[in-house]
Amino acid sequence: MASQGTGYDLSASTYSPDGRIFQIEYAAKAVENAGTVIAIRTKEGVVIAVEKLVQSKLLVPGSNRRIFNIDRHIGAASAGLIADGRHLAERARDEAVNYRDTYRHPTPLKALADRVGLYVQAYTLYSSVRPFGISTILAGIDDVRGPQIFMVEPSGVFWGYNGCAIGKGKQLAKTEIEKLDLGSLTLSQAVEEAAKIIYKVHDEAKDKEFELEMSWIGPETDGKHQLVPDELRKEAARKAKEALDDEMED
Amino acid sequence: MTSVAPQKSKSGFDFSNYSRNHFLDGKGLGGFTATSTGTTIVGLIYKDGIVLGADTRATEGPIVADKNCEKIHYISDNIRCCGAGTAADTEFVTALISSNMQLHALHTGRKPRVVTAMTMLKQRLFQYQGHIGAALVLGGYDATGPQLFTVAPHGSTDKLPYVTMGSGSLAAMAVFESGWHKDMEQKEAVDLVVAAISSGIFNDLGSGSNVDVCIIKKDSTEMLRNYVMPNERAKKEQKYGFAKGTTRFTKEHIYSMIQKEDVFEVGSTAPTPAPLPAAAAGAGGEETMDTS
Amino acid sequence: MEALDMNRLKKGEVDLGTSIMAVAYDKGVIIGADSRTTMGSYIANRVTDKLTHLSDRIYCCRSGSAADTQALADIVTYYLSLYSVNMDQQPDVKTAANLFQDLVYQNKDRLSAGIIVAGWDKKNGGKVFNIPLGGGIFEQPWAIGGSGSTYIYGYCDATWKEGWGKEQTLEFVKNALSLAMRRDGSSGGTIRMADITEDGIERHFIPGDQLPELAGKIV
Repeated sequence: MASQGTGYDLSASTYSPDGRIFQIEYAAKAVENAGTVIAIRTKEGVVIAVEKLVQSKLLVPGSNRRIFNIDRHIGAASAGLIADGRHLAERARDEAVNYRDTYRHPTPLKALADRVGLYVQAYTLYSSVRPFGISTILAGIDDVRGPQIFMVEPSGVFWGYNGCAIGKGKQLAKTEIEKLDLGSLTLSQAVEEAAKIIYKVHDEAKDKEFELEMSWIGPETDGKHQLVPDELRKEAARKAKEALDDEMED
Repeated sequence: MTSVAPQKSKSGFDFSNYSRNHFLDGKGLGGFTATSTGTTIVGLIYKDGIVLGADTRATEGPIVADKNCEKIHYISDNIRCCGAGTAADTEFVTALISSNMQLHALHTGRKPRVVTAMTMLKQRLFQYQGHIGAALVLGGYDATGPQLFTVAPHGSTDKLPYVTMGSGSLAAMAVFESGWHKDMEQKEAVDLVVAAISSGIFNDLGSGSNVDVCIIKKDSTEMLRNYVMPNERAKKEQKYGFAKGTTRFTKEHIYSMIQKEDVFEVGSTAPTPAPLPAAAAGAGGEETMDTS
Repeated sequence: MEALDMNRLKKGEVDLGTSIMAVAYDKGVIIGADSRTTMGSYIANRVTDKLTHLSDRIYCCRSGSAADTQALADIVTYYLSLYSVNMDQQPDVKTAANLFQDLVYQNKDRLSAGIIVAGWDKKNGGKVFNIPLGGGIFEQPWAIGGSGSTYIYGYCDATWKEGWGKEQTLEFVKNALSLAMRRDGSSGGTIRMADITEDGIERHFIPGDQLPELAGKIV
């Protein structure tokens, strides 16, 4: 890369002459190499789906969860350095609790994204730290603004989305999400669509094994963030594989 | 009583007065207090603005420390503040807020407001939990019209059309309660303020001497120092002077205390000073006259 | 733990020896207070407004030290205005009450402040929260406070009923406060009341010479 050897990429506290901070761009590279994470927002609720790449067949299935509960009504999933994701989830939980203690009502998602964003941004200011090697999707429901998705980048910026994708397969996944009619999709349909997208973007040639991890929030879960029940998830996975096979035949 | 041995402070501060005061206190002496302005201060809203009033007596316990002090302090051109309580505290807290108000006005580019001064004062007094012994009457005219507040030493504030403070506040309030009405004319208002302060001066031991008045209107502030002087010292009926030569003396000695010094400008355009003669450089001479 | 001293005003401090009250009803909440502020035996202000604005639809009634409760109300007002800007929505009454409670509890050994927070919010309608001296927080259909309140607990218990409308509630607050002001030496002056609903704040003022004559009315 052009930045290497110039000396401008050695610290997060150094700008390059054209105004970039290379350490943040390297952090974004760590995200691009990670398993895909997507989130879809419908009128009723939100679905998060993760392509959890399995490094070893000896790992217990269902362990090392990649989707975290932040508050009763908020879930999060990160793509990138897994440990960074766990750390940021812990921070998000603290912020959610702090908000509840101060204002006595559940955290609006934007307020949480704002606080998490500020925390991530602080790691782009100092030479003694490295920026977070993750992008984090925060998904949830609040009683004023309904279902919402926010994605926080390594720079600390965050945006609200109708659907978003991060990680290896983000380009393809985004194209697939754009094809969906999010306005009329039910939450159960969204679960199936999300599973299809994760199966579709999975590159069998490069990564062999993966586990499909999914969570949702909506009327089915009484407004709580929960993992999609095993049966439903397996059914969605079956349909996804079927759709993929059909596509191959075409 | 256990005696406290005065210890040499390691910090460099000298606390020996503490031991002294403690000792005197034990003997029933002492009671060292700050100068307090047992005071009458008032303010009212009238048709065109605000009239503030104050007496001019400062006391130290039973002693009148100053017979003609100023208790109406400057905050800004359109805001003034009367102070009662510990004189030093009223003096310094108003000076500080005056300074901060000017910075604030420069920062915002707007004419200062009375609520701003009121908020600054109450926050400072609250912070010091009553240890800054200042009881204030704050008045002024700003973008929102005439404004009048009282600020108590612990930091509570009141907003009223006519207010009094200090030890003479009861006497003054009695005058206001019977004489104040809405939309008074200026003369009427000033007369009522003078009556209220006079009531304090004559009925309250802590208040006395003269009446200071301040009139604040939309575009003008008039400070009427010693507007009324009801306690001027009467002319002495007899003279106690003695004719020259009443007392005989044996010797007169006149010293010249004046030291002369010549100052020269030094520089390229200035002439080079000539060296002074040795005698002139010495101290002034001494003249003596023997009159015996 | 050492018991809290109820009468520990600092020397020369301005006291809101007070009768305050808040009652929730179907459309919102009625708050009320007397208007007397004292410094020892002197009435420093006979037309005090103890109903203090916190946000668009939230007020509080203050009792205890005037300086302490004014400082607290100023801080909470600041937090609430910050909240409404950051969140782009008006705060709940319970949010305001909780901010008060945090401050009162954390500084319980430094403050003498008994506060009733009342107001209206979209989610919960009219609400009343009582925050007494130690820094507790109690949601109640009605609350009374200040030195004068001790005289009217029985009257309020016996009189208040669920399901009242605006006029009945106003009458109740007016009568209860009048009773308290007549028995409590450090309460008196006039009655100030406010009706807080979705539509806004409606202020009511009863001059001191028009307090209801209650002798014939009490059941």
